[in-house]
Amino acid sequence: MSSVVLEARDLVKVYGRGENGFAALRGIDLRIGAGESVAIVGRSGSGKSTLMHLLALLDAPTGGSVALHGAPTATMTARELNRVRNGSFGFVFQQFFLTAHETVLENVVLPLKIAGVRPARRRARAMDVLERLELAEKASSRATDLSGGQKQRVAIARALVNDPAVIFADEPTGNLDSSTGAVVQELLFGLQRERGITLVVVTHDAELAARCDRQVHLRDGRVVPGPSVPSHPLEPAVPDGAGAVLGGPADVLSVGGGAR
Amino acid sequence: MRPADLVSSAITSTWRGRLRTTLTVLAVFIGAFALTLTSGMGIGVNRYIDDTVAAFGAANSLYVQKSQPLLEMSAGTGPRTYDPDSTQIATGFGVSFEGLSSEDISTIEGVDGVASVEPVYNVAPSHLVSGEGERFQLTLGIPVDGEGLQMVAGRTAAEGADEIAVPDSWVADLGFASADEAVGGTVEVVMTNLAGETRTYEATVSGVTQASLAGVAMNPIPSTSFNERLYAYQVSGAAQPVPASYIMARAVMDDPAQAPAVQARLEEAGMIGSTVEDQLGMFRAVIDAVVWILNTCAVIALLAASLGIINTLLMSVQERTRQIGLMKALGMSGPKVFGLFSLEAVVIGLLGALIGATTGVVGGTWLSRVLAEGLLSGLPGLSLFTFRAPTVALIVVAVMAIAFLAGTIPAARAARKDPITALRHE
Repeated sequence: MSSVVLEARDLVKVYGRGENGFAALRGIDLRIGAGESVAIVGRSGSGKSTLMHLLALLDAPTGGSVALHGAPTATMTARELNRVRNGSFGFVFQQFFLTAHETVLENVVLPLKIAGVRPARRRARAMDVLERLELAEKASSRATDLSGGQKQRVAIARALVNDPAVIFADEPTGNLDSSTGAVVQELLFGLQRERGITLVVVTHDAELAARCDRQVHLRDGRVVPGPSVPSHPLEPAVPDGAGAVLGGPADVLSVGGGAR
Repeated sequence: MRPADLVSSAITSTWRGRLRTTLTVLAVFIGAFALTLTSGMGIGVNRYIDDTVAAFGAANSLYVQKSQPLLEMSAGTGPRTYDPDSTQIATGFGVSFEGLSSEDISTIEGVDGVASVEPVYNVAPSHLVSGEGERFQLTLGIPVDGEGLQMVAGRTAAEGADEIAVPDSWVADLGFASADEAVGGTVEVVMTNLAGETRTYEATVSGVTQASLAGVAMNPIPSTSFNERLYAYQVSGAAQPVPASYIMARAVMDDPAQAPAVQARLEEAGMIGSTVEDQLGMFRAVIDAVVWILNTCAVIALLAASLGIINTLLMSVQERTRQIGLMKALGMSGPKVFGLFSLEAVVIGLLGALIGATTGVVGGTWLSRVLAEGLLSGLPGLSLFTFRAPTVALIVVAVMAIAFLAGTIPAARAARKDPITALRHE
C-alpha cells in the first residue's frame, strides 16, 4: 500500500461510566490504505458501527487515537473536524437520509451548501455527478418519489459531490433487494477502482464483504482473525428494509467517502 | 453555509409547516397589531394636545393663583395659617380658597420678566335667561381664556362691549336655530349682590365657541369689561366696602423661556403660577399612563406569542432531528445550526410584525377618519391614531427581537444535538 489514509491505534470506546460502563471497543489497531476497500463485519453489538463512527470522526474515542493522513485527530478543533468531514469524507447510510420533500438536486448539493459553495457552482457539480450516475433526468424529482435503489444512488451522488477521499458506507445495501443491491455494489466498487476512493463498509452482507479487498472481523470490541462463529458466518441483513426516506427503523450504517 | 442559504433554508422550513406557522404568526400579529394601535393612539392624542397649546398662542402667559385648593386637598399638608386680610373665594364645589389681593397683583408686577398682569374677577351670576325667557344655571368662563379659542361662528367677546361667547352645545337650548343665527342674539345675565338684590344685564352673543380638550370653552365667556361690570354689582350692597380680591391673574411674560424663573419667584411670594403647558401636562400624564397600560397589554400578548414560537420551533426541531444529525455529520457547525433555527423564529416574527403593523396602520387610519366624523367630531383636529414611520419600524424590529430571543431556546437545543444520536432518532 502506498499511503495510509486512516490509522487507528489501540482504540477504546466505553459508553457510560464506572461499574455501568459498557466497552464497545477494547483496543483496535487498524490501518486503511489509500484506495483500499475495507469491510467491517461482525454481529450486532460487536462494535462495528462504533468503529466506523470513530474512523469517520463523528465521535471521540475513550482511549487510543485515530490519525488521518498521518496527522492525529485528537487535537483537531470542532471546526477542523467539521471541515474534514465536509470536504474529505462521504457518507452513505442504510436508510439513505434524503430529505423527502426536497428535490434530488437539492439533496445532492447539501455538502456543498454546507461548505459555502456558490449556488451556480454547486449546481454544476451536482449535475455532473448525477449525470455520471445516470440520474440527471431525476434531478428535479422529489426524493420521496424515487424507488429504493434510486434513493441510494442519490445518496451516493451526495457522498461523491464533494470529491471525497474516503466514503463510509453503513449497510449501503441493507434496505435494498438483491438486484438493486447489486447495482449499488457495482457503483461503489466502480468508484473505488476508477477514482481511487477509499471505501470503508460496515455490513452484514457476506457477498458485499467478500468483494472488499479486506475484511475486518469484530467480536466483542476486538479484531478477530476470521468469522466469529463458523456455523453462523455472518448475520443476515436486517430484513425490514427500505422504510421512509427519512424514517426507516434499522441500525445506522454508513459508508464513508475519502478525502482529497 | 452562506448567509443567503441560511435565510432561504429558514424561509423554506417555515413555509413547510404551513398551518403551524400560520397560527404562530397569527399570535405575533395580534401583539404587533395591538402595539401599533396603542402607540399610534399615544402619538395622536399627544400631538393633538401640542396643537391645542399652539392654537392658544399663550405660551407666554402664566396663570397665577394664591393657592391650589385641589392640590392642597390631596397633598395632605398641614393647615395653613389664617390671614385675616385675605378673602376666601367660594368655588361652588364646597371648596374655598384664598383670592389674590391688590398687594399680590403689585408683587406679580414687580417680578422680573413679567411684562403685564391682568387680574381676573370671580363672578358668580345667579342665572341666565334666554331670549325665549327660559332660565339656566350659569357659571362664567374666564375672559382671558378667550384668546386662541376656536370659533364655530362669530368672534370672541369684544372689549368694552357687554358681549358673551357661548359654547356650541348651548346654541339649541338658548333657542337659536344655528350657531350663525346665534351670533348677534341676546341673553340676560341675572346677578345678585351682597344685599340680596337682583339685577339683570343684557348681553349680546358675540360668537359660538368650539369645545376643545382643554375644557376652557365649556362655559360662556364674557368680555373682560362685562365681567368687571358684573363683579362691581356682585360686591355692592355690603355695609363695608369689600377689599379687591381676584380668583387669579394672568401674567404675561416677555419670553416664555423665563417661565421657570418667574414661577420660582412667585412661589417665594406664596403664589402659584402655571402655564397652559403645565395645565395640559396633567392631561398628558393621564394619557401617557393609559397608553402605557395598553402597551403593556400588547407586550404581554407578544410574550404569549413568543411561547407559541418556542413551541412551534421545538416541534420543528423534534421532527427534523435526523436532518439535523445529517447536516452535522456532513460538517455543519453547531453555530450554523443555531443560526438556521433562530432565523426561522425571526422569519415568523417578521411576518407577524409586518402584517400586524400594516393592518394596525391601515385600520387605525381608517378608524381615525370614521371617529373624526362621528364620535369625536366635537374635537376637530384630533386624529386619534397617528403613525410615525420610525415608531412603526421600531415596533417591527422589537417584535423580531422578541421572536429571535424566543427562538434561541429551540435553536440551542438543535445546535447541541450529537450527530450519531440524532441520526438514530426515529
